[in-house]
Amino acid sequence: MKRIAVGLATLLTLAASPAFATMKVVTSLQDFSSIAEAVGGPRVEVFALAKGYQDPHFVEPKPSFILKLSKADLLIVAGLELEIGYLPPLIDQSRNEKIRPGGPGYLDASAGCDILERPTGTVTRAMGDVHPFGNPHYWLDPDNGRVIARAIAARLTQLDPPGASAYAANLAAFEAKLTEGQKRWDAALGPYAGAEVVTYHNSWPNFLKHFKLVAAGYVEPKPGVPPSPAHVVELINLMIEKKIPVILIEPYFDQKTPKSVAEKTGATLLTFIPSVGGVPEAKDYISLFDYDVKLLAGALAAKKGTRP
Amino acid sequence: MSVFQVLLPAFVAGLIVTGMLAYLGVHVVERGVIFVDLSLAQIAALGTTVGILAGYDMHSEMGRVFSLGFALIGAAVFALSRVHRSTRIPQEAIIGIAYAVAAAAAILAMSKATGETEHLKEMLVGNILSVSWRELAKTAGLFVLVGAFHFALRKKFLLISMDEPEAERQGLSVRFWDFLFYGSFGVVVTSSVPIAGVLLVFSYLIVPAVSAMLFSQRLGVRLAIGWSMGAITSAIGVYLSYLWDLPTGATIVTTLGAGLVLLACVRWATGRGRVAA
Repeated sequence: MKRIAVGLATLLTLAASPAFATMKVVTSLQDFSSIAEAVGGPRVEVFALAKGYQDPHFVEPKPSFILKLSKADLLIVAGLELEIGYLPPLIDQSRNEKIRPGGPGYLDASAGCDILERPTGTVTRAMGDVHPFGNPHYWLDPDNGRVIARAIAARLTQLDPPGASAYAANLAAFEAKLTEGQKRWDAALGPYAGAEVVTYHNSWPNFLKHFKLVAAGYVEPKPGVPPSPAHVVELINLMIEKKIPVILIEPYFDQKTPKSVAEKTGATLLTFIPSVGGVPEAKDYISLFDYDVKLLAGALAAKKGTRP
Repeated sequence: MSVFQVLLPAFVAGLIVTGMLAYLGVHVVERGVIFVDLSLAQIAALGTTVGILAGYDMHSEMGRVFSLGFALIGAAVFALSRVHRSTRIPQEAIIGIAYAVAAAAAILAMSKATGETEHLKEMLVGNILSVSWRELAKTAGLFVLVGAFHFALRKKFLLISMDEPEAERQGLSVRFWDFLFYGSFGVVVTSSVPIAGVLLVFSYLIVPAVSAMLFSQRLGVRLAIGWSMGAITSAIGVYLSYLWDLPTGATIVTTLGAGLVLLACVRWATGRGRVAA
C-alpha cells in the first residue's frame, strides 16, 4: 500500500513538474486569470482572489491569499481603485517586494485600455457616484481584453525570457479566438445598435459602448443606498416612455428594487455576468461574452417581437 | 513566507483586542448594556461619513477626529440616559435607537457623497488578517493608556457597574463617571473596529466576559478566565481559518461561540449553580 502511494506520488510529481519553472500568477479577477492562463499556457499557474460571482470591490481575505501573494511572480490587478478596499494591506502582509505597485511583478491591467468616465477637472457632488480614476469595469470591452492579453504576454516575456516564443504563440492563438468571437458577438447584437437599456448601476459602460448600446438610466446609482422615490418614479416613466426593454444587474446585488421597476414597466430583468466564473457557463474570457451576448440578444429579440 | 508569519499578526491582534475588551465586557454585561459597542461603532461610522461629506478622507487624521468626536457624543448621550427611574425606560432602548438612527443617517449622508460608497462597508467590516504591525503597536499603546486610566479609577467604575444605588448613596456623580466610562469605551471601540470589524469586536467584548461569569463573581478570577478563554479561542480560530481556508474574523467569532458552549457544558457537568464566591 505504502509503496503504491510512494509510486503514485512520484508519478504525480513527475507529471506536475515540466522542464521549466512555472510562473506563479495571482490576479484580482478571474477574467485576468483566464487571459493569463490562455497566454501563459502550461508555463503559468494562476490563482484569482475574487471569484466571478463575488463583488470585486469586497473580497473577504483568507489566509491562503497572503500565502499565494507571498509566492507570486506576477500580480495582475484591475487598478483604478477597484481593489482598494482589500488588496493593499494584503500586499503589505505578503512581504513580496516584487508585486508591490511599481515592482516588476505588478501589472495594472488598465494601462493602455480604453477607460471611460475619467473625470476631468474637479469632482463635484452633482456628478453622482464618481470613480476618481475612471470606470473600473473596463474588461467588459473585448478590445480592452486584447490590450490586456498583450500586456500580460509582454510582462510574462520580461519575467520569463525563455518562454518568449511560447507566449507569442499563445497570444496569437488567443487573439485569433477573440477576433472570431467578436464576429459572433457583433453579429448577434448588431441589429440592436442604438438600443437603450437600464442598468442597476454604472458597471457596463465599456460593454454598452462596444456594442453601441446606450444606458438610459440607473436603478440604484449607488449600490447599497436605495434610490429615492422621486428617482424611481422618474426611472419608471422614462422606461415606459422610451419602451426600454431590459434592466441589467450584477449577480451579487439585491434584486428587490430592480425587480419591482421591471414589473411596473414590463421590462426584463437580466442577471448579467460581469466576470469569468460568475456562472459555470462563463468559464473563460471568451465564453463570458458568449453568455452575456446570448442573454441580451435573446431578451432584446423577444421584446422586439412583442412590441408594435 | 511561512504560515506562521501570515497568521501571527491576526493572532496578536486577537490578544490585544481581547486583553482590553474582555475587561470592558465584564462592565458592559454587569451594566446590562450589551449592545453599546455596536451602537458606538455605528455612531463612529456615521462620524466618518459626515467627515467624508465635509471633504476629509476616512483614513486621514481629520477623518479619525470625526469618528472619535461622534463616538464621544454617543458616550455623552449614553451617560445622560441611564435608566430613567420615573418612566422605567431601559438604557438598552436608548442604545438601540441610537444604533438605528446612526445607521440610517449614515445611509443618508452616503447618498449625498461622491463615490466612496464602498467605504461604508469597509468602515464596519475590518479585517484582522491584513492588520499591520504598526497598526497593532499603535493600538496596543493606546490600550495601555486606557487600561491605566481604568486601573487608576477602577474603584469608581466597578462600584457603578456592580452596585449603582450604592454609588449614588456615596455621593458619586454617576453621570460624570459614566461619561468617562463610555468615552474611554468609545476610544477602544473606534480603534478596534477598523482592525477586527464590528462582529469580532462585539464577540471579544461579550463572549469571554460571559464565559467568565459562568464560573466566578470575583473580578480577578473573571479577568483571568476571560483572557485565557479569549487567547485560546483566538489561537484555535486563527488556526482553523488557515486549516480550512476560511475568512479569519468570522472563524474566530464562531470559535468563541463554540468555546462558550463548551464552557457552559463544563459548568453544568461540574455541578450547577456552584459559582465560586
